[in-house]
Amino acid sequence: MIVAEDLHRSFKRPGGRAFRLPFGKSDAKADSRVVAVNSVSFTADDGRITGLLGPNGAGKSTTLRMLATLIRPERGSASVDGHDVTRDVLAVRQHLGFMPHNAGIYPRLSARENIHYYARLCGLDKQQAEQRVGQLIEQLDMKGFADRRATGFSQGQKTKVALARALAHQPQTIMLDEPTNGLDVMATRGLREIIRQLAADGHCIVFSSHIMQEVAALCDHIAIISDGSIAMQDSLAGILERTGENDLEDAFVKATLSLQPETDR
Amino acid sequence: MSLFIVMFKEIVDNLRDRQTVFYALLFGPILLPLLLGGSLVASFKQLSIDFDEVTSLSVLHAERAPRLMEFLHGHNIDVTEAPENVQASVRRGDVLVVLEIPEDFADQLRAGRPAPLTLHVNSADKESGKAARRVQAILSVYERTLNNLRLQHRGIDPSTFDSLNLVENDVSSDGSSGQLLASILPFLFIMSMVMGGFYLAIDTTAGERERQSLEPLLSLPLKRSAVVFGKYGATLCFVTLSGVLTAVSIYTLFRLFPIELMGGQIRFDGRTLVRAFLLASPLLPFISALLITVSAVTRSTKEAQTYLGLMMMVPMAPFFLLQFLSIRSTTMSMPIPMLSQYQLLESAVLGDSIPILHILLSAGGTLAATALLLTLASRLYQRERLLD
Ligand SMILES: Nc1ncnc2c1ncn2[C@@H]1O[C@H](COP(=O)(O)OP(=O)(O)OP(=O)(O)O)[C@@H](O)[C@H]1O
Ligand SMILES: [Mg+2]
Repeated sequence: MIVAEDLHRSFKRPGGRAFRLPFGKSDAKADSRVVAVNSVSFTADDGRITGLLGPNGAGKSTTLRMLATLIRPERGSASVDGHDVTRDVLAVRQHLGFMPHNAGIYPRLSARENIHYYARLCGLDKQQAEQRVGQLIEQLDMKGFADRRATGFSQGQKTKVALARALAHQPQTIMLDEPTNGLDVMATRGLREIIRQLAADGHCIVFSSHIMQEVAALCDHIAIISDGSIAMQDSLAGILERTGENDLEDAFVKATLSLQPETDR
Repeated sequence: MSLFIVMFKEIVDNLRDRQTVFYALLFGPILLPLLLGGSLVASFKQLSIDFDEVTSLSVLHAERAPRLMEFLHGHNIDVTEAPENVQASVRRGDVLVVLEIPEDFADQLRAGRPAPLTLHVNSADKESGKAARRVQAILSVYERTLNNLRLQHRGIDPSTFDSLNLVENDVSSDGSSGQLLASILPFLFIMSMVMGGFYLAIDTTAGERERQSLEPLLSLPLKRSAVVFGKYGATLCFVTLSGVLTAVSIYTLFRLFPIELMGGQIRFDGRTLVRAFLLASPLLPFISALLITVSAVTRSTKEAQTYLGLMMMVPMAPFFLLQFLSIRSTTMSMPIPMLSQYQLLESAVLGDSIPILHILLSAGGTLAATALLLTLASRLYQRERLLD
């Protein structure tokens, strides 16, 4: 279970102030930092698939990174299975399986070795790790390429390895950052099946995407994020009802538009 | 524990990388010693003159100086018949030098006047020049005996004329060829250590960032220090492996080439090498730390190669510095990593005694610098910017 409360994070503008071209308005204060996440609050329950839906640059990845303890929020707080992401870092990581966007796998290791490495790092002993890896290979249907080196794996195969790695230590909470990127229809369906199964087993799943149909097809709960803030969160039916639309795309546009006067664009 | 898992994985992973393995196992340990050591041995071979070896000397009209021939024979020189056309054969290199004894040699000698001798030599040919020097050296010994005999005939003590008795004492124990070896050995060691860990350090730090495998790794329940020190441990293994293999191959190289070739009394045996290696060993952790820290700052393997390529100047600097400036080993220079090892290894090869204080200062300074670098590397791995 994830609870996020008013998360805020900005970054130094890359390039700094040194070589600013003298064009456009110069709003010195806002210029110095990029606000990636302005104010994000949402809850993701166990046994449910929570979709984080937002356009490119909305702050999805930044939010997930804060939850994964990779970067610290500048304001607000969040907890994973009751452990605070800033104070209880190791406990959070123990409970969390995180699959980042384009999760790199090691090309010179086989699929099996890639997963085994993570299992060992998460504290499983050699035997347990081997057993767990075997289980995951079975579960994610990876037998065909499990013992091949990862060089030249297809996108779908890479995603499966990365997902298996994130699941190595049987985390209660699982966060997937745009996992269906680059997958074909069949692979996407396969992945959805796996995710549904995980939720049915009682895991809490957070799934980020910018593809509306995908979120609509898979998620029980949807949080729409735009410009670093949550515009709306509810079940699919709830969102459609609230916006008075009957299509998530229209609802999405409406929800994000309603946010714009606030952020003053 | 996770430290060792990271370390083991990095070693296995990098052993599968051809480039890393080439530089760790072949370049430093085999190619570099062969290139540098080979040319070194070749140059020793040309410079040295070996007086114990039996050689032959062709003499024209040997029958005109029987005593001289006896003397030559007594000094391990086989006198052979001169070829027909002396000048042409020397120029062609059929014979290196020819000693010609003119007709009036015996008469002049008997009359107590300077007796003429002609040495045909081709100065354009190194080998011929070397042979000529050897002949001249032996003839001057003969001349001295003759002089003494003449003086004694006239009832004069020969030592009256020896107003100077210059005894050359080469304090470096082995002269210039030994000096050359002494400055090349630390260079070889340090270079192969650096190259041994070079690609592994880049692959495990900048390479991991580039492959975007760092983000999932850092979200695992393990301390970042385990990640840093695991990678450091793997680098240390490769650096050490490369260093040890280099020592072994240098030893083999000098075993294959007889020690007499190296200008005489130089003692370059297993003990000297072990001593040199031990003196250089604080560099193993130091170089590994330097490699890891520098490449931890970089974002891509390309950037890391540029930075580390520039950093290669650091191990090379003392080599050139010491070639041109003669910086003497002092307690001031000893705590400086690399510089002190250059100086210590040089002394070790030359067989000079090394004060224990210098050894302690060198090891202490190098290890302190290592600790500093590792602290910096750990700090770098705590930064969030690592994920950019
Ligand atoms: N390390 C960083 N330094 C500077 N700016 C950053 C950094 N990380 C994110 N940003 C900025 O913050 C904003 C949000 O980025 P984020 O990656 O969270 O978006 P996203 O919702 O994941 O988008 P996408 O769908 O394209 O993956 C972007 O404008 C991005 O440029
Ligand atoms: Mg993203």
